[in-house]
Amino acid sequence: MTLGEILATRPSPGQPRTYDFPPFERLILASGLQVLTVNLPGRPLVTANLIVRRGAGDEPADVAGATILAARAMTEGTQRYPGVELIEASERLGATLHVDASWDAFAVSVDVAASRLGAALELLAELAQRPTFPEPHVARLRDERLNDLLQVKADPRRHVDQAFVSTIYTADSPYARPAAGNEETVPRLTPDVLRGVHASVLDPGRAAVVIGGDLTGLDVSQMVEAVLGSFGTGGDARVATATPAPRAGSAVDHPIVRIYHHPGAVQTELRIGHVGLPRRVPDFHAVQVMAAILGGLFNSRLQMNLREEKGYTYGVGAGFDMRRGAGPFSVRTAVQTAATVPAISESLAELNRIRETEVTAPELAAARDYLVGVFPLRFETPGAVVAALAGQFVNELPDNELARYRGEVEAVTIERIQAAAQDHIHPDRLAIVAVGDADAVAAELGSAGFGELEVVLEELPPEASQGEEEGE
Amino acid sequence: MTAPSVRFTDGRLANGLRLIISEDHLAPVVAVCVRYDVGSKHEVLGKTGFAHLFEHVMFQGSGHVSKTEHAALIQAVGGTMNGSTWLDWTNYFETVPSHQLELALWLEADRMATLLEALNQENLDNQRDVVKNEKRSSYDNRPYGAWFHKLQEHLFPPEHPYHHATIGSMDDLDAASLEDVAAFFRTYYAPNNAVLSIVGDVEAGQARAWAERYFGEIPANPAIPPLGDMTLLPILGAETREVVVDRVPLPRHFFGFRAPVLGDPRFDALEVASQILAGGKGSRLYRRLVREERIAQDVAFFSVGLVGGASMVAGQATVRPGVDPAVVERAFEEELERLGREPVTDDELTRARALIETYELEALQRVDERADRLSMFAALLDDPDMINRQLDRYLAVGASEIQAAAAEVLRPDNRAVVTYVPATETAAATTDEETAA
Repeated sequence: MTLGEILATRPSPGQPRTYDFPPFERLILASGLQVLTVNLPGRPLVTANLIVRRGAGDEPADVAGATILAARAMTEGTQRYPGVELIEASERLGATLHVDASWDAFAVSVDVAASRLGAALELLAELAQRPTFPEPHVARLRDERLNDLLQVKADPRRHVDQAFVSTIYTADSPYARPAAGNEETVPRLTPDVLRGVHASVLDPGRAAVVIGGDLTGLDVSQMVEAVLGSFGTGGDARVATATPAPRAGSAVDHPIVRIYHHPGAVQTELRIGHVGLPRRVPDFHAVQVMAAILGGLFNSRLQMNLREEKGYTYGVGAGFDMRRGAGPFSVRTAVQTAATVPAISESLAELNRIRETEVTAPELAAARDYLVGVFPLRFETPGAVVAALAGQFVNELPDNELARYRGEVEAVTIERIQAAAQDHIHPDRLAIVAVGDADAVAAELGSAGFGELEVVLEELPPEASQGEEEGE
Repeated sequence: MTAPSVRFTDGRLANGLRLIISEDHLAPVVAVCVRYDVGSKHEVLGKTGFAHLFEHVMFQGSGHVSKTEHAALIQAVGGTMNGSTWLDWTNYFETVPSHQLELALWLEADRMATLLEALNQENLDNQRDVVKNEKRSSYDNRPYGAWFHKLQEHLFPPEHPYHHATIGSMDDLDAASLEDVAAFFRTYYAPNNAVLSIVGDVEAGQARAWAERYFGEIPANPAIPPLGDMTLLPILGAETREVVVDRVPLPRHFFGFRAPVLGDPRFDALEVASQILAGGKGSRLYRRLVREERIAQDVAFFSVGLVGGASMVAGQATVRPGVDPAVVERAFEEELERLGREPVTDDELTRARALIETYELEALQRVDERADRLSMFAALLDDPDMINRQLDRYLAVGASEIQAAAAEVLRPDNRAVVTYVPATETAAATTDEETAA
């Protein structure tokens, strides 16, 4: 055969190997702390994650940022290891210890060779249970956050993300705020406030330890029991309580346009959307397929239109950021300044189109087959498997949530996709939030008919304001 | 703990395509990487940004694949894919469920063999616009966005191919023509200028047979022009400085040093040194500048391995409000100079080695990372087995090697300092810097 003949014939796939999400075992300690283990033979690097269903979305408004600051300050010293000694001890094990807080959860985790898991878990337990929150370092971390807030306003991407959520959520929703706190709340975050966060995290009824990797020959439950058996049972013990989802009210009831002026910006950063959905939504799988078609796939409708046809942008995406409460739905892109209005028009057209007309059978197949097929690729490493199980725990999803995922996606139909689009995308209350050169685009934006326009000038770029002048 | 050894076969097809295959049946996944020995270092003045623009064109269709269909076919089987362009290379990669390997190989072969059959002005113009927006969002509309390019300009002389940014200039992108694209393809996109690596759940004989079938008949280009001499003096010879006034809220220093090439043991020593200097909260720069003296908001130090005459090692520090940028610079430089003056402690070395071991183990878990490294070491160093020796090389670095490499590289007369300052502080900062310039 000639080269042309060989290449003219597309290969057909071989036999797929079966794949199941790796099974896990659950043990519940006397305290109520859950231990989930997943044995992954051949994976010598183990991930252990102590996760608590208590995140930045669960903190009071007046101390916004306390949860994330507490997570950052945890590694500033513990009772047994003052200062950076704990970090040094973990480094000697080749263990990477992290404390992270998200909207939904607080997590202390470690990646370490299986042979050193026991020693690493001891450090993890010390870090999780006995941080000291030394005042000088808490003060330094507060300052670092305040300085970071200055950087946010100078960076169009970070600026627009914050402006978007503060536009779409009501003021009583934590999701309206920056998760790490703002100029008003951060100065209030004393060591005592952080200790309060930590006390609320020490709750075995809302916590799980998830461990994945090659655990052959290791008595993992025994290791966990030994160091975390009394997690949260001393002093301020509390009864396992249900964790209500954070409030997520919509502040927008009709289409609006808001542009934050960055003089001379060569691109406009755009976020178009509204309050979206929580993770526990009955038509989750249909929403995933719909969002993939709209703005998730490399060749999504938005991407084909704005990038591959028009060349307005390097990339555009759309989707639902699902949390315990209703996270945002948004179209996200950055376009050359001159294309601002046409890019918004095209985005709005795509949002309407996916609601008004059915997706085609090939579109459904492309999205469905991608989500089903990529599933095994997502879980190649213990870190990814552990993260998925931790997410299942945090969102209080059934034990078979991951195992049933592919079957549920395969069952999604064109009708269910359209229903999901109609139920969850709301053109009548879209906020169009932009960070860009208002001098260049405001007039056109105002007459485009997208909605009532507000030009925000108060937050001047750094060249005109520094330090104390940089208020909100 | 030892990193698992990556077993592979290494050979060439008759047309010169280098083929590396590594079996691993742990997950039902296989990774493919095609790395072409062409990067922005092959560009000439007036045609900067071309290698990268061309990478975009490679997704616009070929003889048997329509525009954007490459991505569609890979995603429809549950695969992931992309391409990237760097100073030294351009690569294209897919990770797919293992029963779809043949599709990935066919797609890569079709564009290596028949790209020009699908090339047209409309697609080129479209991707030119996309790339210009990539430049805007990754560099021009980002605070401190030009820092890497500025260090390139300081560390490599104007006639050297590392002097210009891989993304190129807007004018050069505008000037790129269809003829340029076709000539570039004919020159560099030949099997004898590429490495194909296949890693994962595949039987090696089957993978070789498919590679032979789809790539074996693609003609070689016997006349790939050799790259000019990229040799450089080992050090700059004099410090070079620049103050950049930008829309940034906090001043930030970027430090660059000309360093030995990738594969030189001194480069390994500098990588270990980077861990000791700025790898996390226990590191020297973090401890002193951020934690103890509280003069910096953040610090970083890292190496950028290159093969054409010299590599780069670089660092950065963001100045806290109210702190004199010169104080931060001095403290940063003192720590670098100390590394060349006295040996690191045993404990620092122990910690750095243990962490590097974990990072290596972590990286090599994934088939795509192994495919990437095998093809990179083959293309750049003609030594794919470096994937198995890299960790031992790091672990062999001792205190004296770090001290010697630091003394040789991290010295004032080999240093570029690029300082971003907010516009309002321009007057003061410029005065400070002028005395040193």
